[in-house]
Amino acid sequence: MNAIIATTVFGILMMFIGLMVNNKKTVTSLAAVFFLGLLGVNIYDLATVPADAPQMMFNNMLRMDHTSMWFNTLMTGCTALYILLMGKEFEKVGTHVAEYFALIFFILCGLYLLSTFNTMLMLFIGIEIMSIPQYILAGSDKRNLKSSEASLKYFLMGAFSTGILLMGITLLYGASRSFNIQDMVSVLHSESLSPLALAGIMFIVVALGFKVSAAPMHTWTPDVYDGTPTAFTAYMATVVKAGVFYAFMRLFHVAFANLGEHWILIIAIIAAATLLVGNVTAVFQQSVKRMLAYSSIAQAGFMLFAVIAVNNTAWNAIMIYAVAYSVATIGVFSVLIKLKDYTYDGFNGLAQKNPFLAFVATIFLFSLAGIPLTGGFMAKYYVLTAVVEQGNLLWLVIFALLMAAISVYYYFRVIIAMYFKTGEPELTSPVTMGDKVMMLVTCAIVILAGIAPQILLSHM
Amino acid sequence: MDIYSILFWVLSVMAVGCALGVILSRNPVNSVLFLILTFVAISGHYILMNAQFLAVVNMIVYAGAIMVLFLFVIMLMNLNADVEPQKGQMVQLAGVISGGVLFLIILAALKTAATIEVNPTSTDIGLIGNLGKVLFKQYILPFEISSVLFLSAMIGAVVIGKKEPGQDLPRSEEKAVQQ
Repeated sequence: MNAIIATTVFGILMMFIGLMVNNKKTVTSLAAVFFLGLLGVNIYDLATVPADAPQMMFNNMLRMDHTSMWFNTLMTGCTALYILLMGKEFEKVGTHVAEYFALIFFILCGLYLLSTFNTMLMLFIGIEIMSIPQYILAGSDKRNLKSSEASLKYFLMGAFSTGILLMGITLLYGASRSFNIQDMVSVLHSESLSPLALAGIMFIVVALGFKVSAAPMHTWTPDVYDGTPTAFTAYMATVVKAGVFYAFMRLFHVAFANLGEHWILIIAIIAAATLLVGNVTAVFQQSVKRMLAYSSIAQAGFMLFAVIAVNNTAWNAIMIYAVAYSVATIGVFSVLIKLKDYTYDGFNGLAQKNPFLAFVATIFLFSLAGIPLTGGFMAKYYVLTAVVEQGNLLWLVIFALLMAAISVYYYFRVIIAMYFKTGEPELTSPVTMGDKVMMLVTCAIVILAGIAPQILLSHM
Repeated sequence: MDIYSILFWVLSVMAVGCALGVILSRNPVNSVLFLILTFVAISGHYILMNAQFLAVVNMIVYAGAIMVLFLFVIMLMNLNADVEPQKGQMVQLAGVISGGVLFLIILAALKTAATIEVNPTSTDIGLIGNLGKVLFKQYILPFEISSVLFLSAMIGAVVIGKKEPGQDLPRSEEKAVQQ
């Protein structure tokens, strides 16, 4: 609860700082301090919530348990890492630097609600608080027409998906006569299931599938991620997506736990379609930024596995996947943003020009591809184990392994361009000592998650 | 057939008919006017369900303020048949099929749904006093936290609305500069 208040207060403080401080560098440094402070508040929250007794707050609106507090802490940590790596790049996007930081604080407020919601009302408000700042961030580079296009497209499609989500919540309310997800699970049973509830669940699958860019609701993703300023794409594709996945799991594993036979197969098919579309289309991209957009669709397919598997391993899996994927993707984007040319050719010969950048990019791409000893491997291992434990869905696991093999091709294409091709890549800004330290820290987290993933599960 | 049923049917026919008018009329201005009528009919339904405050708010906010804004936007954009994007036959067919399937599902779901009788004796349930009590006691958190949502929307209005140095001028202003 303290974290929700703290992030809102920090967001408002950022707005006032924007009013009073004119130097962009000072604003960035202050924001970094605030994000580290927010991480401290989260750790305090984590320490004060008892491990085995979840706290219900505000007439059962929120349910603060240890797992969700730990998820909040990890995601805040990823956000702080993101700000330390890329905060400087905000200054190049536009003039309203302080407002961009404020919006990221508000996104975190939405994330905290999504990880602790106990009623559909809070789910809806959380998703909206998370989405609206993203529409704004997508359109923040007003000198670039593609950014405005991305913002408008995202906003219109997002508004439609919100409508569908509300329709689903309404139908579920009609069937269970409650917004509370704990009440829902006691009312909704397979034998006496009202078709209203079934239709409601399908609407919610579509709406949440849109937010996490699952196929066939993924069509907005490449254009929006490509048009959005790179500094913000890195955040939209990682922490935000992980937050919606956590809410997705919380809703389906708690409220619809008894109805598995109705939704598991449908989400399994969606996951397979997402993997297929994401991986196969990523192969044909010429721009690395666009390839990363498709790769984020493909990774969403893997994260859907955690939703499908209704067991404890799935919760471990989402925790590791969220961190491993977020950290590695933020890392790749931090390298990408240093380059002037986002096509594969723009990476040609990076290893000769700047061996350090090429090296860290290789580690991050290894993690995304799921090579052993990196966090990405452990993440994929855990999600696949969860689905195997679930049973009946072995075809999906085999299909996922096949798709993971395809993904190696397009990730390694970047590595080949960096190491085995010659060219003169142009950098937008020099790689400073601070950049190097932060990139090395990010690398260390990626490797640590691969060697000792149990650290990420230590507070579950 | 008592007065309640008569009102219910009149309002329902009005709501469905006007909603059809929204999507079937070619002129966008007519669509907006039909939408206002739909809101009026729905407000009538709210009153039938003893939600007087909601009915009033629906009239003032939706039928009044938001629809006027809609009308302004449509008139400013000067929409007509010439600028309407042409959709391919296949896209139209796909739209009809998916929309039809959705309609069928909702129809089937509603057909078997259990209906709950509203309690007609408690006429003050939708009055502003009771609503306020529920809003500030049971639903205090969603009520307060919505402020974060509106705050970010306000930031959006400022960030997107303000002109940045180096930003391209809109076409109309460009002409003015040239003259």
